[in-house]
Amino acid sequence: METFEQMLATPPSWLDASGPISNVVLSTRVRLARNLEGVPFPMRAGSSDLERVRDRALAAASAGNYLANALVLIVDEKAQSRRQILVERHLTGREFLGAGPGRAVIIGDGELVSAVINEEDHLRLACIKSGLMPMDAWRLVERLDTELEQNLHYAYSSDWGYLTSCPTNVGTGMRVSVLMHLVGLVRSNRIAQVLGSISKLGLSVRGFYGEKSAALGGFFQVSNQMTLGQSEDDIAYTVERVAGQLVSLELEARSELTKKGGHRIEDEVHRAYGILTSARIISSDEMMALCSSLRFGITEGFIDSVNLATANGLLVSTQPGHLKHFDGRDPGPDRRDRIRADLIRRELASGSRA
Amino acid sequence: MICDECGRPATIRFVETVNGEMRVMQLCGECAGARGIGLSFAPLAGPIVNLLMGFLEEAGADEPVEAQGSACSECGLSYAEFRRTGKLGCAVCYTSFEKELRPLIRRINGSSRHTGKIPSKAPEDAESIREVRRLKLDLDRAVRGEEYERAAELRDQIRSLESAQCGGGDDGDV
Ligand SMILES: [Zn+2]
Ligand SMILES: [Zn+2]
Repeated sequence: METFEQMLATPPSWLDASGPISNVVLSTRVRLARNLEGVPFPMRAGSSDLERVRDRALAAASAGNYLANALVLIVDEKAQSRRQILVERHLTGREFLGAGPGRAVIIGDGELVSAVINEEDHLRLACIKSGLMPMDAWRLVERLDTELEQNLHYAYSSDWGYLTSCPTNVGTGMRVSVLMHLVGLVRSNRIAQVLGSISKLGLSVRGFYGEKSAALGGFFQVSNQMTLGQSEDDIAYTVERVAGQLVSLELEARSELTKKGGHRIEDEVHRAYGILTSARIISSDEMMALCSSLRFGITEGFIDSVNLATANGLLVSTQPGHLKHFDGRDPGPDRRDRIRADLIRRELASGSRA
Repeated sequence: MICDECGRPATIRFVETVNGEMRVMQLCGECAGARGIGLSFAPLAGPIVNLLMGFLEEAGADEPVEAQGSACSECGLSYAEFRRTGKLGCAVCYTSFEKELRPLIRRINGSSRHTGKIPSKAPEDAESIREVRRLKLDLDRAVRGEEYERAAELRDQIRSLESAQCGGGDDGDV
């Protein structure tokens, strides 16, 4: 078992670009929402209820195989900086930042499987894999779910399925999210049209970073909207199929762009690389745009001195909560942009291909 | 790349939705900051919850006034509070507010019946109720496809399962 500090020493393994179609798809996440029978949902549960749920869930996890040796974080009020890091590593949602006591997170090896206790639902089980792997991620989180339910009695009705705090999760409680880098579609101005047609297929799209449906650097998250009326296999398959279509459109756009203006793109991605390896102050906005260009340069073969895993890792390790942790204190905005630039230079130097 | 707002060098391209229309913009860091485009891992639920709130608002116009005042018998959550937050208080809320929830959930999913995984601790007849539902869908398809032999087979299977359920738990709403 790792400690929290050991976990932070490396980016989550789902960013290591080892999975299929890693040039376009960074990761696939499948999560299942579950609640225990006879206890109000976390939002309306008292602290003794929350603690009871937490202890039962922790006991069930340690009795099984998948999370038996996992890192268990009891999230109390003191651990605000840890919460920020959990959000940045996609282990919990933002709501977790303000939640009171009674919460816990269980994190398996390499952050591939995890369980969040008493967020919006009593339990949120998740599996994140590198590349486009909805079926595999679903199968794995399903086995974790089956293992836990040996010791937990879930709130379930044969009519509605798994009962969840928000009616938008009821049924399977399943959300499949594919994190995609659609830089080619953004640059060729086809993204609006393509994403518009996605929403007609019952999938939702949002920027991976940031609110207000804004997406920086062409990083998008594509997920299923419907959770009821289809089997989990069907949901995973639908997301896989639609994401696959997006991949082919993206690859088409990239090859057109490089055919039409390869020398311009070559120049631009090397400029981005130059800034990332030399600049002393880099804001998070600039980082996102430059990292997008860097990834684009690597996948199109213009840049071969950095590997994709290193570029992906920067997306998480340069987030404010991580920088604060590495710095040992809250650096404030000015110093944060400086330590971000330092970290990027270090990572790019050590992540170079020998 | 030049900022759409101020003409200085832009560092960000992003997509935004205005009145349902998506458009691509490029901005410098400052103008992006001014528009509140921050960098964070926002919860995935965002747009889906917005969808729910939109439906709730629409449904509100047709809801009888007494629905607004009703509350869950188990956890005490009022329907008005659910309308405000989009979150239910406990598993029993699904029964307490069934009349209001069923059309809402049907709008989101195009269906209001679970056909996925069943927990091992579910009531014993859950599996057979779901099987009947699945067979009825197949039957529908067979009849539409004019496969009458297959339809007759399916009808027999449904009948034997339903009689085993002693009264059945299915309302035939398929
Ligand atoms: Zn500007
Ligand atoms: Zn209730």
